[in-house]
Amino acid sequence: MSYDDVEIEDMEWNEELQSYTYPCPCGDLFQITKEDLKLGEEIARCPSCSLYITVIYNMEDFLGSSDQNRTNKGLQPSKQQAVTVA
Amino acid sequence: MFGWINRVMEESEKLKTEENGESEEITWSWGAGTDGLPLDLKDSANAAIVADPSFEVTANSKTLPFVEEKKESGDRLWSWGAGTDGQLGTGRIQDEHLPRQLSLPSVSSLACGGAHVIALTSAGKVLSWGRGNSGQLGHGEVVNNMLYPKAVTSLENYFITHVSAGWSHSGFVSDTGSLFTCGDGSFGQLGHGDHASHCSPVKVSCFVDQHVAEVACGMRHSLVLLKGCLSSQVYGFGSGKRGQLGFSKDKIKSINLPKVVSGFEDVDIVGIAANGDHSAALSVDGNLYTWGRGFKGFEDSHLPQCLNSTLKFTKATLGWNHALAMTGDGEAYMLGGNHLGVLKDLRNECSDSREANLKKVPGLDGIKITDIATGAEHSVLVTENGEIKTWGWGEHGQLGLGDDGDQLSPVTVSLGYDLNEAASTKVYCGSGFTFALTKP
Ligand SMILES: [Zn+2]
Repeated sequence: MSYDDVEIEDMEWNEELQSYTYPCPCGDLFQITKEDLKLGEEIARCPSCSLYITVIYNMEDFLGSSDQNRTNKGLQPSKQQAVTVA
Repeated sequence: MFGWINRVMEESEKLKTEENGESEEITWSWGAGTDGLPLDLKDSANAAIVADPSFEVTANSKTLPFVEEKKESGDRLWSWGAGTDGQLGTGRIQDEHLPRQLSLPSVSSLACGGAHVIALTSAGKVLSWGRGNSGQLGHGEVVNNMLYPKAVTSLENYFITHVSAGWSHSGFVSDTGSLFTCGDGSFGQLGHGDHASHCSPVKVSCFVDQHVAEVACGMRHSLVLLKGCLSSQVYGFGSGKRGQLGFSKDKIKSINLPKVVSGFEDVDIVGIAANGDHSAALSVDGNLYTWGRGFKGFEDSHLPQCLNSTLKFTKATLGWNHALAMTGDGEAYMLGGNHLGVLKDLRNECSDSREANLKKVPGLDGIKITDIATGAEHSVLVTENGEIKTWGWGEHGQLGLGDDGDQLSPVTVSLGYDLNEAASTKVYCGSGFTFALTKP
């Protein structure tokens, strides 16, 4: 079951992730790419848990846009520092 | 690093699994259950006491953080749940399904946000850790993850008395009534009159002539409670789309300067809360007001609504779809909560009454409670018997029960420590994680 319905205007564009994002109750972010939106995908998933939201948007708003002019000035992904046990 | 102790259990679990038996000699020093099984309280309390921060563990744990010093404050701190940004303070980036004991001397209270934690010491100093990618840790730089508590040095000249952590912003109140904010400001939630983000706490100039008592940070908005200012005591700023700013019946997308919340002209407010798109306030006579996103099945409310109840509440906390409230008699009630922070399915109970949405937390059998906390979709309470109970969404281990399952009603968490030995136990929730703090 979808956790919530969220309008695209309430989602934030994240350069680093190259996705529209919205807070997930687990602490991570629900994410959906422009490519997904162009294809009519309306489910934004969280990479850290099983939850997903339904994105409310007009597909037409995304059909004309291009990602090519987007430059990735985002931060490097965080270095995973989890301790491993030999 | 303020004697930050990390009693790591995972190595022992792995050893137990892999080497089967050889782990016995080291499990004593962790003071927590293994394999999800609760330990006998007596034994584990002993185990917790003998645990020494300076112990050398096995060769397998060479990467454990080393602790230089521990002040014997007697405070005990545990964390569990989502740890993907280092918010558990365990020194690692991973979820914990069982409580792990940490130690931070003289912590008087905590504030937990989306994935960061702010600790306030009894000396009025501030430490923070966890996710810092929006500047919410206040360390003067943007860091993705801070795995250990680090002092917020720019506030060292102030005695901080109150802190709050939102989804990605933070608020700090000094004993002189100054308010500082940092972190994500893109919705105006820092209150500086713009949409800039800050990685060091910045004084909110709107309140320089006022005495701020409390700040409450939600997902994308903030509330402020002033002291000695009856006619205009609660302010809101940031995103207002769901009505969470509470100053206008009209839909307000966002504001970046504090504005007075309506409806408290003749009410003495003594406490405020914000989480998700919810806002709440408690009056001195125990009335609970809520505004913002409607709890399950109810419309958003753009102005504060007083819960029409004869109950007198002394504390209220908010999740993303539910609220918990505690009465002076030590009873716990829940508002909303048939989402993930589930208690029961209300679908068959059609009612127009918000009051009907208020349910007594079941399964307590008359046991009084002494504290409450709410994560985005989970709930925690402390009983007078010194037990911590959790329920709701458990996928990240935020219930601390050793698994990732959900619970419909309160279940006792084993800290491996007899909470009856603690004079006070307080609980705090971030979005998907939980902290417990005990004082002797
Ligand atoms: Zn998630």
